[in-house]
Amino acid sequence: VAKTSLTSPPWPEVKLPDPVEEAKYHAEVVRKVNGLISAGEYGRLFAVVHFASKQWKITNEDLIMMDNVLEAECGDRIRMEKVLLVGADDFTLIGRPLLGKDLVRVEATVIEKTESWPKVNVRFWRRHNFQRKKIIANPQTVLRINTIEIYPCLS
Amino acid sequence: MVVLSAARWLRSRLSDRFWRVQDVLKYARHFRGRKNRCYRLAVRSVRRAFVRSTKARKEKKRFLRALWITRIEAASLEHGLKYPAFISNLLKSQVELNRKVLADLAIYEPKTFKSLAALAQRRRQEGFLAALGDGKEPEGIFSRIVHQHY
Repeated sequence: VAKTSLTSPPWPEVKLPDPVEEAKYHAEVVRKVNGLISAGEYGRLFAVVHFASKQWKITNEDLIMMDNVLEAECGDRIRMEKVLLVGADDFTLIGRPLLGKDLVRVEATVIEKTESWPKVNVRFWRRHNFQRKKIIANPQTVLRINTIEIYPCLS
Repeated sequence: MVVLSAARWLRSRLSDRFWRVQDVLKYARHFRGRKNRCYRLAVRSVRRAFVRSTKARKEKKRFLRALWITRIEAASLEHGLKYPAFISNLLKSQVELNRKVLADLAIYEPKTFKSLAALAQRRRQEGFLAALGDGKEPEGIFSRIVHQHY
């Protein structure tokens, strides 16, 4: 049969590696990473956390400012549960979409609850005698990330 | 005798005109030319500046998203993937990182970004095989959907 432009798909031919060998390779990688975590041979950990409807990339001793009110007093310790990604220098743990609560622990303390600088909102329509001025000061909360810990319970 | 209105020579005149003028001029002090000194010119410039800043607050979000997309595109091209392929395959593998965090990872965590690109590439290949075969062949490993219960 003659070869036309539609005989073969437009993407190059793909061959996946052998599933048995792949499973062995995956198990080896998991064992190594578990060993590294239990031995504690990672340096600084960073995490991607979903908090206040935003995603933040955080490490230890980080300051975070949110543009809303948190129902916690100043000095309260908070545990952030929606962790999407945790990584160190040699390995990363990617959650699909979240990582388990028994795997990562991110702790933070509420430091400050203030208002933002007074932002000026002006709407003006020329030649129509229309001018509105509004000054907005959003409440803000400042958190400090104390620790990020991982526990060796991969499978 | 009862006096209902004040006498004609008693007028009510502004006493704090200086401060009202300064309220406007304080926002114009860093402008260029006479509009940082003269009230009549400053009023117009300050009003335009405020209106532009309110509109810019909405456009900043669009601008930043376009910037993140450009950066992610550049980083994924370094690893041999185009931006639409990268993002769509990441989402299909249930990794829900947004563009802001992906751009930060591409800048500060190159190894993590490389592993994400490899994940997207592998998911893409499994997608090609699934599209071609479409039979009772085994699904790829990375295409499996994870069901999580909290």
